[in-house]
Amino acid sequence: MNDDLILQHGLTLDEFSIIKNYLKRDLTIEELGIFSAMWNEHCCYKTSKKWLKKLPTNNEIVIQGPGENAGIIDLEDQDGIAFKIESHNHPSYIEPFNGSATGVGGILRDIFTMGARPIATLDSIRFGAITTDKTRFLLNGVVHGIGHYGNCIGIPNIGGECEFEHSYDFNNLVNAMAIGHVKKDAIFYSKPKTLGGLIVYIGSKTGKDGIHGASMASDVFSEDDEDDKRPSVQVGDPFMEKLLMEGCLELMASGFIESMQDMGAAGITSSSVEMASKGNVGVHIDLDKVPLRQPLSAYEILLSESQERMLAVIDKDNDDKVRKILQKWQIDYEVIGEITNTKRVVFTSQGKEVVNLPVDIIVEDAPEYDREFFIPRKRKEKTFDTKNLNLDLLIENQLNNLNYIDKSWVYNQYDSTVMGDTIKDPGQSAGVVKIHGTNKAIGATTDCNPLYIRINPKKGMKATVAESYRNLISSNLKPLAITNNLNFASPLDPNIMGELVLSIDGLKEAASYLNTPIVSGNVSLYNQTNDQPIKPTPVIGMVGSNLNYEKLNSNFFQGEDDEILYIGKCLDPSYSPYFLQDQLNIREMNSFNDLADTNLDEELKAANFILESSEQGLIRSCNDISRGGIFNSLLKMIKKDLGFKIEIQNLINLFCEFSAGYVISINKKNKEKISEISKKNNIELYKLGVVKKSTIDINNQKIDFKDVYTKYKKNFENIIH
Amino acid sequence: MRLKILIRLKSQILEPQGKTIEQSLANLGFKDLTNIRQGKLIELDVPDNLKSEEKNKLIESACKKLLVNEIIEEYEVLG
Amino acid sequence: MTFKSAVITFPGSNCDRDAVTYLEDLTAGPVYKIWHEESTLPNVDLVILPGGFSFGDYLRSGAMASKSQIIKDVVKHAESGKYLMGICNGFQILTEIGLLHGALLQNNGLKFLGKNCFIKKRNRNNFNKSIDDDKILEIPVAHNEGNFYCDEDTLKDLLDNELIAFEYCDGQYSLDEANINGSLKNIAGITNKKKNILGLMPHPERAYQKYHSSEDGKLIIESILS
Repeated sequence: MNDDLILQHGLTLDEFSIIKNYLKRDLTIEELGIFSAMWNEHCCYKTSKKWLKKLPTNNEIVIQGPGENAGIIDLEDQDGIAFKIESHNHPSYIEPFNGSATGVGGILRDIFTMGARPIATLDSIRFGAITTDKTRFLLNGVVHGIGHYGNCIGIPNIGGECEFEHSYDFNNLVNAMAIGHVKKDAIFYSKPKTLGGLIVYIGSKTGKDGIHGASMASDVFSEDDEDDKRPSVQVGDPFMEKLLMEGCLELMASGFIESMQDMGAAGITSSSVEMASKGNVGVHIDLDKVPLRQPLSAYEILLSESQERMLAVIDKDNDDKVRKILQKWQIDYEVIGEITNTKRVVFTSQGKEVVNLPVDIIVEDAPEYDREFFIPRKRKEKTFDTKNLNLDLLIENQLNNLNYIDKSWVYNQYDSTVMGDTIKDPGQSAGVVKIHGTNKAIGATTDCNPLYIRINPKKGMKATVAESYRNLISSNLKPLAITNNLNFASPLDPNIMGELVLSIDGLKEAASYLNTPIVSGNVSLYNQTNDQPIKPTPVIGMVGSNLNYEKLNSNFFQGEDDEILYIGKCLDPSYSPYFLQDQLNIREMNSFNDLADTNLDEELKAANFILESSEQGLIRSCNDISRGGIFNSLLKMIKKDLGFKIEIQNLINLFCEFSAGYVISINKKNKEKISEISKKNNIELYKLGVVKKSTIDINNQKIDFKDVYTKYKKNFENIIH
Repeated sequence: MRLKILIRLKSQILEPQGKTIEQSLANLGFKDLTNIRQGKLIELDVPDNLKSEEKNKLIESACKKLLVNEIIEEYEVLG
Repeated sequence: MTFKSAVITFPGSNCDRDAVTYLEDLTAGPVYKIWHEESTLPNVDLVILPGGFSFGDYLRSGAMASKSQIIKDVVKHAESGKYLMGICNGFQILTEIGLLHGALLQNNGLKFLGKNCFIKKRNRNNFNKSIDDDKILEIPVAHNEGNFYCDEDTLKDLLDNELIAFEYCDGQYSLDEANINGSLKNIAGITNKKKNILGLMPHPERAYQKYHSSEDGKLIIESILS
């Protein structure tokens, strides 16, 4: 096997020699393909594993932590909540519509593979500066793709985030999160139970989608397409996925199947290897039995990433029963192999063994690296002059920046109310759905502050976790657990590796302190084009609940004359990175001061105050304070014609970032009760003003309500066109 | 025998897709390309042994029953 | 007498469960779930063709569902004068069957619309008789093809026979245009001449609980039951 071929398969020559020394023979091209798929970052986390192991992944409510298709937490009674986030970054840059659509499809399969019915999705998407046609094309395509897939299959999209920033110009990010509901006694795992069980193929036929093979290894591609040897883009079929989802959920409820795996990235290879590894068994699969869309070689079948396919294990006696259920849903079904006791992965094609490998070498012996990393240098302290800023300019800067204004252009393309259980649709602090037929509310948010994390990865990550936490608290949801999607540039650069290591450290510290374990996740590395790396973007998806949905807080003002208050500590403008970047146009990374460290104890105290007040029904509306300061929180709270009249000593403080900050509105008659609770929790309450119809009035300066509100709601569309 | 059936929205019906494509082309400098309309193409195999009359009847019937909504669409068999 | 109803599920329907829940919560009678391959409907007072993407919306929205096995019996049910309601994709299916006039084209903005819209009643019928004439209902829409179209003669027929059940209108404080999708005459829902069949683009089954953004969707079932 020549070196080029090995390198093209993404393996280093050292890695290859480990394999060869173990096997003591040459590899087949199919076997090389398997190592290429299984030893890449996506499957074996070779760069991040050492650090990910340090994360807290368990507490009393965790039913399933990382390592399965999705994590599951306990929501009392018989209810479990499965959730996970996953990236589809590169495919969405190559072909935004199909790339993002299949991202949604993949994460939904991860959920229903566990036996859970998906009940909500969220999307964290990032694009380059909106100044180029390319960014507009990507934005349109990604939003269309996410919407198309989710709308069609009928799972409500309840939130997420959408950010624009130069570093994503050539590497947009698409992270899709899904949440499912499962009865605790009906959870499915990928581990097969019995030897001799049949391995069955369920779903769409296999085609050439997304084969990562080396173009030089032309002899491994089938002969019928001389003119197109390039890997083709994965195309999603949400209609098929809907049938597959209903079919699989019916199958799992029927008791006729033992275990299930999604054929996602690296297709039949990774799903069968994982099945063997989890069950400590072997698999024997006849590739000639795999349903094909077009003639394919064994190599292509092994590496195809065709969508909407599942691999399951059933008892021999259930073959006909399973077939019958799937026939109703018009789903292809084929017995393609069996579970063996060999602890080897064997694939045959045309009567020939093309792969015969011990499971251990693929999984247990997968490389794990301790890559060199640098810790960022200490920053010099600087003070920034804010004298030239006046109120009109501060407001205009926010209203003309896509990252601060209403994004209904995006989420109005998503169906957020299908399934009839949506309590909070996108555009609020968290998306919330009700568990069907119960009073339980499940909420979720996705967040990341790439600028913070670039300035100080550890502190930045703590701030991000705290922001997710506050987003849930604002709605009176108790934060429960985290899924994360670590998007970084190349870890071969020790500075980037440092960002990875230190942000995981920050995640560990914050998640441990706030008791929100990490139950699932995904790593996406090498997000860089030439010399332009993305900003570090470890996205947090946090899930929380309230067992009685009637206790939830609104994030919108509720009535005129309600009093507006805030809690938390305003950061000095010189220590408010987004303020500096977006109001003073500071771009050079070295110019920023170090990040203020998040005081997690203050966050907990503030959260306890909000939760206690909310449970007593004292809070009429609440929003956390993050990027854009109090002013942006107030903009988000405007509902219909309900605006605000406020006074604040230092105007700049309205636009700076906060620590443990929330804006709340209350009925005046509850003022005493709420100040008692604040005293009890050691929280300082500050008065801002009142809710007032058709008004934005700051320190007696009247601002045109309709003009500001219209710009807040409509500027997004104006800017992107 | 392989046949192609072209289905389009009737000419009196506003077709925003065509308008949008036209605008995008104009932005790219193709200002002379106008009156753009987008349709869909269906390809299918018809048994070779059918007489042309039978074939026409079969296609017409399939179009009327399912492939075409004659309230909004018109079709053309491209042969 | 108990009010009985049925909801048809096609492959790709995704609002069938929502419609069943809506009927169960508001009619207090039995609700039958019918798979599209069944050949007979139970004897019911109301049938709902739910929203979704039946058969993937391939070819045209609703086209293939309109040829399903169960449709013959749905037509019989409607011909006997009993209630039939198509919501969203169900409306599209009703026009494809030919039980309702017109067709639903792609939204004029060329984008899927998932948001609340505002509608009011135009011509009185049994689906809206409990609704005040000037009442503005706030109800979610979720569709890509909701742009109602018909030719001039048909439109005259709709107007002369007072078959326009609901029309899109301005919402108080809403910054959006009343006509969200380009529908002719702002049409959001129409009936047949006998006024026992309603096709409606907005989703009343997503607007009737206190945790929904409005409870206006109740009014349609209340009208039918009153």
